[in-house]
Amino acid sequence: MTCLVAETEELAQARRLVFLALLIAVAVTVHTVESLLPTPVPWLRLGLSNVITVIALYLYGGRAAWSVSLMRVGLGALLLGRLFSPGFWLALSGCLVATSAMVLLYRWAGPRMSPIGISAAGAAGHAFGQILAARLLVVQHAAIWQIFPLFLLFTIGSGVLTGWVAAMVLEQIAKHPIFQKGKIEKVCDETP
Amino acid sequence: MKLPWSYMTVGDWLVITVLIVFAVAGMAWVAGAPVGSRLVVSDGDRICFTATLDQHRTVELEGPLGRTRLVIDNQGARITGSPCPRKSCMTMGPARQTGDLLACVPNRILVRIDGERKKDSPYDLLSR
Repeated sequence: MTCLVAETEELAQARRLVFLALLIAVAVTVHTVESLLPTPVPWLRLGLSNVITVIALYLYGGRAAWSVSLMRVGLGALLLGRLFSPGFWLALSGCLVATSAMVLLYRWAGPRMSPIGISAAGAAGHAFGQILAARLLVVQHAAIWQIFPLFLLFTIGSGVLTGWVAAMVLEQIAKHPIFQKGKIEKVCDETP
Repeated sequence: MKLPWSYMTVGDWLVITVLIVFAVAGMAWVAGAPVGSRLVVSDGDRICFTATLDQHRTVELEGPLGRTRLVIDNQGARITGSPCPRKSCMTMGPARQTGDLLACVPNRILVRIDGERKKDSPYDLLSR
């Protein structure tokens, strides 16, 4: 059997689709499990599903990161019964600012930044988006910005932590032949 | 397992440093706010209770879920009892500086600390 170039491209596209679906599934699962864990303060969560968004960003680019984060917020809210509740709007606003920050920074800085810096910027954006939504929808008073600095400090810590996890996962993934350019065609040519 | 800084680039350090400086400066700014003199409670639409902070008393505030207990003492104001499911308002700790906020979103209780009303202010009223 011979292998055509068009076929490998089609294969790469199908593979991308499957991996993206897997990443979304993992992100929704991590997000849901994390939401069910008890925390000392209700809003304080590690945001582990951001690991998956960062991985999608580094593997498949900005559009993939957007699909993972938006699907995670939507499906996560559906699973937890929070769709269109105040908490959902806070999460959505946080997700929009965070993903914009990460995608823009990734596009602008490229290899000059590792997943850790990207994730920290995304976490800061998440905190900003959440407080902005809380200011507009829930509290409706400017005094809420007073909690922003402390919130930001916590969130930078969790952003570095999730970025570190993403960096380690990406390092392992990069060793696999399907994520190394040129290897696939070779594998394809060798098949009898 | 590699440590985080083995992955980090100059750009990462720059972004993280800027964010931390911003957060610490913000915290210093918030901590520098003057101690307030009275508290104002609103139930979402209107002000339903006010009191000065220089007293010791306990008030029960009526919300849609039930009664929220507010304690005023020399540490400031804090919520010690609430019918809401997550009790996050009770962890918001004593509020005593101007602009501090205690909020119970489920029970629609918002406690705000106000500053001294300036007697020599040229304005009668500031509306926003």
